[in-house]
Amino acid sequence: MKKSKVKITTADKVWQVFIVTLLLCVSVIVLVPILNLIALSLSDPARVSEVRGLTIFPKGFSLVNYRVLAANPLFMRSILNSVFITVVGTALNLLVTSMAAFALSRPKLPFKRFFMTIIIIVMILEPGLVPEYLVVKGIGLMNSQWSVILYKLVNVYYLIILMRFFEDIPESFIEAAQVDGASYGTILAKVILPLSKSALATQSLFYGVYHWNEYFRSSIYLSDPNKYPLQLILRQFVVLDDTASLIGSGSLFSYDEAARLNYDALQASTIIVAILPVLIIYPLILKYYARGSMEGGIKE
Amino acid sequence: MMNAAMKVQSAAQTARARHSRNREYGLLLLLAPALVYFIVYHLIPIAGTVVMSFQDFRIVGKSPFVGFKHFKLLFSSPAFLQVLANTLIISFMKIVLFFPLPIIFALLLNEIRSSFIRKFVQSTTYLPHFLSWVVIAGIWIAFLSPGTGGMNQIRGWFGLAPFDYMTDKGSIRWVLFSSETWRSLGWDSIIYMTALTNISPSLYESADLDGAGPLQKMRYITLPELVPTMVTVFILNMGFFLNAGFDQVFNMMNDSVISKIDILDTYVYRIGLLNMQYSFSSAASLFKGVIGLLLTIFAHFSSKKITGKGLW
Repeated sequence: MKKSKVKITTADKVWQVFIVTLLLCVSVIVLVPILNLIALSLSDPARVSEVRGLTIFPKGFSLVNYRVLAANPLFMRSILNSVFITVVGTALNLLVTSMAAFALSRPKLPFKRFFMTIIIIVMILEPGLVPEYLVVKGIGLMNSQWSVILYKLVNVYYLIILMRFFEDIPESFIEAAQVDGASYGTILAKVILPLSKSALATQSLFYGVYHWNEYFRSSIYLSDPNKYPLQLILRQFVVLDDTASLIGSGSLFSYDEAARLNYDALQASTIIVAILPVLIIYPLILKYYARGSMEGGIKE
Repeated sequence: MMNAAMKVQSAAQTARARHSRNREYGLLLLLAPALVYFIVYHLIPIAGTVVMSFQDFRIVGKSPFVGFKHFKLLFSSPAFLQVLANTLIISFMKIVLFFPLPIIFALLLNEIRSSFIRKFVQSTTYLPHFLSWVVIAGIWIAFLSPGTGGMNQIRGWFGLAPFDYMTDKGSIRWVLFSSETWRSLGWDSIIYMTALTNISPSLYESADLDGAGPLQKMRYITLPELVPTMVTVFILNMGFFLNAGFDQVFNMMNDSVISKIDILDTYVYRIGLLNMQYSFSSAASLFKGVIGLLLTIFAHFSSKKITGKGLW
């Protein structure tokens, strides 16, 4: 746009070709390792040895790896666990965060300064892992998925973003509802939340991705493998290279078939299953979040 | 009569005021669940870290107060000093060395005229930010695998022998740096893309009138306009300097390279939860917390001073 008045010169064209090539290389570097795992997971077991590290199309086609995973009760169970933790966790995140953000956005909230101080303390001081562990143990949540669901009940940064968003809603909307005798709970549900759909959608995507990707708290708080989320099973299979449990004792496959399986391909398939939900909601993420986000660039 | 009317009015006022105050207290009900969460999952563990660091903590029975014993142990432990050094080196790589990359990326992206290609590059490079470190570690372990990995296929083109980067002490920190870049290059460029689109086109138009070339425009308009964003990003990241990325290290660590990439958070996890040296590990947490606090406060006030926008 800014160059509309400038004549396009040959040097300009060369420069365009150069940067387009360079940036497409970055895209290729991001995509090839992922496409390679997809290719590996879908290849015919007989031809899997032809798949090299930079291969991006499957050699032949077979769903045998995914069938092995589907026959593994522990793996299937972990998908359900992840869905449960993600859905319940995100719903609670949104409920509790928006309630608190609304309360904090009201100028007349009693003890407001005191609560804001607590928020800042939470923001700048990190709780130690060991005391947190002992607290979870103390309140009896060990080996319960609630320990994992509740661990990040409110992200203090999202709370502040939502609070600022609510503060921008015109006061007259709230006053009008108050004249009609509505309580704050009603105002939140009937006036504020319907006006904040895009903000809530963004936060639900982020809370959702957080829950889906969570593995560490699950690894320290859950001891029963039947309660493990997918990421933890994935860590066991892929990062810790525990291939024995990958086949699963309850597998319906005969030893003959198991012997022909390629463990790399099986590991690739578990990774792909774990990525799939993120890929499915990724267009939504791009739509709501990446557009003009101020979050990028800050490490955590 | 007048009097009576006034009384009625004032009674109504009091009632309304009381009603209003009651209603304001209703807000506390809305805040309560978050408050309970902050107390249970944040404030109690924060207080616990401080208390336990100065005790010989026991789960059963009394925990005697031992003063700075654990801190003295910590700083006389070569293992801890190595961990501290690792943390600083890895953070330096991921915060300072990495810093210019998203800026360059955003500048190049901004130069692309085809919006289709720009969107394609953006949507592909933002993606890894949403993958868990377990997944990314899995992808990288496969890609760097000495047997079948893509990296070694590339080495093969140049006639180089296969090499196992994941277990090599000299390479592993660069594996962390590269995988962090792979994950964050695109995402971290967003903030600069936003800043670039906010630069007024009239600046470029008047530069065109003055006959400025692309390099001059870059030097005298684009870069100065990006400085506030660079400062904000850099300063805010300083607050995370002692973090160095637990999830990444935790998933890319193996026995061969642990001495090179064991960081404060992985150390606290290992000695605290695995070896159950609760107080010793709390002391390490507290040390990290206090330095982190100072860095964050420094970040907040510097950012506020330079750009007018702080952390809170």
